[in-house]
Amino acid sequence: MAIDMSMPILVVDDYQTMIRIIRNLLKQIGFENVDEASDGSAALGKMKGRKYGLVISDWNMEPMTGFELLKEVRSDPTLAKTKFIMVTAESKTENVIAAKKAGVDNYIVKPFNAQTLKAKIDAVFAEAA
Amino acid sequence: MASKGFSRIAITQNNINKVQEHLSRDDRAGAGIEDVVALAEVSADSLRLFFKGLDHKICEELSDVVEYITTMKTEVVGLGARKLHEQHIPEAGKELDVVVKATADATNRIMTLAEDLMAADTTDHDAYVAQVNDAVMNIFEACSFQDLTGQRIAKVVETLKQVEARLVRFTEVLRLVDGEGLDSEEFMAKKARQEALILHGPQFDDEAMKQDAIDALLHSDEDPEDVIARLFA
Repeated sequence: MAIDMSMPILVVDDYQTMIRIIRNLLKQIGFENVDEASDGSAALGKMKGRKYGLVISDWNMEPMTGFELLKEVRSDPTLAKTKFIMVTAESKTENVIAAKKAGVDNYIVKPFNAQTLKAKIDAVFAEAA
Repeated sequence: MASKGFSRIAITQNNINKVQEHLSRDDRAGAGIEDVVALAEVSADSLRLFFKGLDHKICEELSDVVEYITTMKTEVVGLGARKLHEQHIPEAGKELDVVVKATADATNRIMTLAEDLMAADTTDHDAYVAQVNDAVMNIFEACSFQDLTGQRIAKVVETLKQVEARLVRFTEVLRLVDGEGLDSEEFMAKKARQEALILHGPQFDDEAMKQDAIDALLHSDEDPEDVIARLFA
């Protein structure tokens, strides 16, 4: 299945610099329709107002973490099918397993590059096809 | 022990009675140096008897306590807690704040240059080359933050080493063991949140899962519970 390059993507991170990096990498890949949020609760608010094709979220944020956001998204029938990639410095086995159990579509460890980001986005949408 | 203590008091009381008797004599107005010396002897006798009666072991223990308190006072002063609290720790915090700001400034400067290059007009070759050269020089300049932040972090590390050395000496000299219950409520709440939400922060290379291992785990059909059991068997 070809990826819709015009789909809205929501980038969630409490560091503006990281949002800027991901936004630029997405732009390089070809995604121009990118929104941002600074934590899980802000992201949830945006997701209730707009349908996103993909959420790329950090884990460690306040007040709502990316892990809590993932669980909220999966438990809401209107949002449950949204593709969700965790991009985080949390690289312990228990984090990956917890994210998998909560229904994450892919998991990227920081620091990462454009190639990894593109490969994971491709993999998420290839699995869906 | 009780009867021994009682007899000591009785003896002392006896001597005090002698002093009182001496002082109540009618002729004391004309007391000479001999009377004063006699009085002093009676008093000294009372004290000598009192101290002689004290248990030798108690004396030793009291002496140890005095020595411990003296050592503790010396070590507490040596910690320099006030200077650490008022000067060294705030200075270290200030250094780290400057490091955070310097790295953020440099990152933003470099990213702005990169974004400008991404958006540059490439149709005018000479102008584009000039813009790239200018951006490259600016990026080199921006990278100079690393030298200054390195020096600032080295100062913070030195402060931490000083604090560690003083605390290690303090605990060793006073033979202290770790206790519990001194963490603030705020710290405990933060710790509980970190545990509940699995927040470890960045790991060291030898502790972190590599991307390949994460991919394998994520796309494995194995039940996560089985993976946990296998990993922690």
